[in-house]
Amino acid sequence: MRNTLKVAKWEIKRNIKNKTFLIGLFSTPVIFILFMVVPSFFSDDEEAIPTNVLVNDQLDVYTELEMMVDQSELNWNLEATDSKESDVETELIEKEDTAYLFIDERALNEGVVPVYMSDEIDSFFINQVQLLATPIQAVQMEQLGVSTDELEMITKGITFIEPTSEESSSEESSGGMTTKELERMVPGAFAGFIMLSIVFTGMAIFQSASDEKKNKIAEIILSSLTPAELMKGKIVGYFALGIIQTVVSIVLVLPVISWRIDIPFIEYLFVPELAILIIIALLGYLLFAALFVGVGATMADISTAGNFQGLIMMLPFAPFIFIGPVFGDPSGLMAQIGTYIPFTTPGVLILRLSLLEEWPWVEIIIALAILTISAWLFMKLAGKIFKVGILMYGKNASPKEIIKWLRA
Amino acid sequence: METMLTIEGLGKSFKETRVLQNISFEVKKGEIMAILGPNGAGKSTTIRTIMGIMYPDVGSITFHNYRDIPRNKIGYLPEERGLYKNVKVMDILLYLAELKSYPLKKAKERALDYLKKFDLEGKENVSVEELSKGMGQKVQFIASIIHEPEFLILDEPFSGLDPVSQNIFKEEIRKLAENGTAILLSSHQMNLVEELADRLFMINKGKKVIYGTMDEVKTEYANFKCTIRGENEKSILERLPEVQRVEQDGNTSILYLTNNVNPATWIKHLPEQLIINELIIDRITLHEIFIDIATGKSGMEKVGESNA
Repeated sequence: MRNTLKVAKWEIKRNIKNKTFLIGLFSTPVIFILFMVVPSFFSDDEEAIPTNVLVNDQLDVYTELEMMVDQSELNWNLEATDSKESDVETELIEKEDTAYLFIDERALNEGVVPVYMSDEIDSFFINQVQLLATPIQAVQMEQLGVSTDELEMITKGITFIEPTSEESSSEESSGGMTTKELERMVPGAFAGFIMLSIVFTGMAIFQSASDEKKNKIAEIILSSLTPAELMKGKIVGYFALGIIQTVVSIVLVLPVISWRIDIPFIEYLFVPELAILIIIALLGYLLFAALFVGVGATMADISTAGNFQGLIMMLPFAPFIFIGPVFGDPSGLMAQIGTYIPFTTPGVLILRLSLLEEWPWVEIIIALAILTISAWLFMKLAGKIFKVGILMYGKNASPKEIIKWLRA
Repeated sequence: METMLTIEGLGKSFKETRVLQNISFEVKKGEIMAILGPNGAGKSTTIRTIMGIMYPDVGSITFHNYRDIPRNKIGYLPEERGLYKNVKVMDILLYLAELKSYPLKKAKERALDYLKKFDLEGKENVSVEELSKGMGQKVQFIASIIHEPEFLILDEPFSGLDPVSQNIFKEEIRKLAENGTAILLSSHQMNLVEELADRLFMINKGKKVIYGTMDEVKTEYANFKCTIRGENEKSILERLPEVQRVEQDGNTSILYLTNNVNPATWIKHLPEQLIINELIIDRITLHEIFIDIATGKSGMEKVGESNA
């Protein structure tokens, strides 16, 4: 155990001192934050500059126009003007985000409103201005002698709507999600995040195990400790690194999330269910770590990975196959199958538990048992592969050889 | 001298091939024991078996005074070796010392001392990947002795070293033995082995060929040979007494003499008509014995077996 901790300590120290790791450590959450924050900066900027709309109104519809603009929440500064149509073009040359509308007889007779715009103007302006057609049309119809009732009917137009039942409309109180759903989602998302970041850091185990071969240092190390101690040390070390990555990410990202999204995260996060979700995530890590450390020991270099090794590298992504079906029906057949396949158990189970209101305890216990047994089994197998593979310098092991070692 | 390690009747097979067969020897405190043999003779397999990295099919390995392999007391420099690339020299030395449970403060002092001794002063904070091959070798050597091992295994320590560095290594190895370290040395550089080793074990095709002290081996196997420069007929030389065989290359003739020749008397009986520009009498070197065995030229293997 002491030797295991020595190796773990070394792996942590070695990575913490490594620039690549440090850059990754901080850039991951920073990129995450940028994705959340940057798009909203752009939309803020566009809202900041309103369009000046100057109206030369000769039909007395200005108040209706004003109401229309208010209702549609257009970012306009509506103003009445006396400017003449002939002067406008020269006036516009020096202006930005400005448009002139001339509402006169032509609108009534020909249905045309001349619009003069500055060069720089919101690209949606010409679409927005079409909204003003309705009040002008009303004046037009009034003149044609349509009664007020008929007028209301016509201007109301026809809209297509989906009838909604009482029940669901009452639930949609906080932007589509109920408090209950959130309570389940937050710990699930958190556990999923922990698992992902540990599994990704765990992939570095792979690199680390094959480094041992590439640098031909394995034999020197093994003169001081047993292969099993070396392997366990790596698994523990990279687990700690994964936790460091998670903590750094959370410390950086959580404040931003609670600033951008108005939900009391912390309250939802620390519920008893979180413990089970984290246990699932940890077992998932152990399973994949064993897999990676074993496979890493069979490879001289990541770039020379054969199909077999490449396939195993893809296993952590297997739960993605089940995402669609699980969202469709969290208790369905596909969801249950995914729960019982060891490699997809952690991902699928965490996803299901975040969606389901009633936890299927029997399934959870069976799945945890499967996960525990397979993690233990893969540790044993990885140990056998690691023992032989780590000393095969500069060589990749074929699946046939690996099977032979497993039988030994 | 106190015996540190005893190996008895070691045997191992990979599939059908027997790579080791009935290998027995011991290593004593304060001596340099050389294990020699051509490539693929089974040297590294023997060493890996001692280190517990491989397991023998038959035979026993006993570290005296210890029940198990005393990993913390062993220094090991494997034949195929390297270091982590992107770490500092001092960091890796301290890590390897820590794995041996050697106190860190002492390890640091010793590391700095040895770096200075090996002409690597000021390199302790340099990344390993920036070192040249020879510098890397030196760091590996330091790593194998930093924890003051009682027993040191050096597998081809001189490979890839320039003559100056070879000398530094040679001196250091000798000094370690003087201080009581038991050293098992495997090498192809026969001249260095001849200078360093107290005893030697020669192995070929997994079997013992020669085992004994350097002097014993020399008296037993390294017969006298006489090198004569001058134009002489091969047939005349062959007719001389006590001559086993003659090798001729231009004007240089090498006369291999029988085992029990007395050099002084033999010289007296040389015929006067021989043209001698230069005459050297010495023993066959370890190098020549080695090559003879490796190429199967001499009947040494048989001699070895009957001796066993």
